[in-house]
Amino acid sequence: MNNSEPKIVAFCCNWCSYAGADLAGTSRMQYPANLRIIRVMCSGRVNPVFVLKALRVGADGVLVLGCHPGDCHYLTGNYRTRRRLSITMKFMEYMGIEPERIQVSWCSASEGSRFAEVVTEVTADLKRISPNRLFND
Amino acid sequence: MTREIEKKLRDAVRELLEKGTIDRIVGYEAGSLKFSTTPLITSNKADVDRLVINPFTHSNLSVFLRDLCGKVGIVAKGCDARSIISLIQDRQIARKDVFVIGAPCGGVIDLAKVEKLTGLDRDEVDDIVWQGEKAAITFAGSTQKFSAKEVLADSCLGCDPSDFKECDMLIGEIEPIVGGKELGQDRIREMEAMAPAQRWEFWKKEFSRCIRCYGCRQVCPACFCDRCFVEETEPRWISPLPKWQDNLIFQVVRMMHVAGRCTNCGECERICPANIPLGSLTKKMEEIVDELFQYRAGTDKDAPPLMAAYQPDELEDLMR
Repeated sequence: MNNSEPKIVAFCCNWCSYAGADLAGTSRMQYPANLRIIRVMCSGRVNPVFVLKALRVGADGVLVLGCHPGDCHYLTGNYRTRRRLSITMKFMEYMGIEPERIQVSWCSASEGSRFAEVVTEVTADLKRISPNRLFND
Repeated sequence: MTREIEKKLRDAVRELLEKGTIDRIVGYEAGSLKFSTTPLITSNKADVDRLVINPFTHSNLSVFLRDLCGKVGIVAKGCDARSIISLIQDRQIARKDVFVIGAPCGGVIDLAKVEKLTGLDRDEVDDIVWQGEKAAITFAGSTQKFSAKEVLADSCLGCDPSDFKECDMLIGEIEPIVGGKELGQDRIREMEAMAPAQRWEFWKKEFSRCIRCYGCRQVCPACFCDRCFVEETEPRWISPLPKWQDNLIFQVVRMMHVAGRCTNCGECERICPANIPLGSLTKKMEEIVDELFQYRAGTDKDAPPLMAAYQPDELEDLMR
């Protein structure tokens, strides 16, 4: 447990999870203010290098959010995200990064409460591990 | 024995060139240094007699295929043959444009290991030949035998050469797995025995030696992007300065790009002037791909590339 507030970069897809975040906001649901959201058109846009770059420049964790499998606006974008980021997570664990630092989840436009829940959980995960000093010299 | 195989290869290639089945051949010839080989690309029948097959033909020649026109004959070891299939899957080359001459190998010899074993420079070693399962090395006036594990390149340990597919011709016989499959996994298990923080420190140290020569990328048949992400300037993903953080990101992202394409031929590790153990990364990626998708790179030319395919219900246990 550490007292610092983790910085989390979240990649949210335009059609589901960004709208979900919006709903959480307009419904005035409470969730930790540790998130910096970057909107992408589809979670399939998220390249592993985005994730690593975020960690490199000081994010404590990266959360990628997309539509639920089967609900992608572009039909198969999130299936591809799932494959790509699964190997990213597994491989970075081998390199020695804590698995909590890279997380992927699904959240639909109507799931404001789920969005708040996921963000709360991820923030708690990152508070449990030490701040990101991986790329410090 | 070796001579006989070479004669067979040369005769076959000569005939293929004469018949016009192939326009040019990509193979190996003896290099300028002892025990070295270098790629030979020729359309001239007179050059065919320079072709060799021996335990030092480490290059993965499939890296040249994208740049060659006409029908190309290529001498391929097991891993190279899989790289060729992988390139066909990715639509980088057409099946009809290649004529694959399979040259099954029992693994390539790592001269650095030989130098360590003999305590001599490679120029001072007289001869290295296979005698059954052992490598007989003649040096300082005597011959000693060493096991495959002692002399083979790490990437060759545990290699399964049995899935030789899409070969138009086979020279020699398919050899059994070198020392069993587990042998190749030893180095991954060693790494995993370390604590995560220790592993990160290990890679930090390794990548601080990287001079970003990009040799690993150039020598890799799976690295075929016309424009690599490291050279993009807008946005600039990694700093142009060779800092270990950016060196690491470069290599890790490269591994992601070759996932499902990498056949673990070991060329990146061999070419590395800083001796970074990249084979430990390629081997791990191969294992992850096998574990998550039961997929082996370059075994089915008609299958879609791994990262371009999906199953509706998979991997959900890894998602939050």
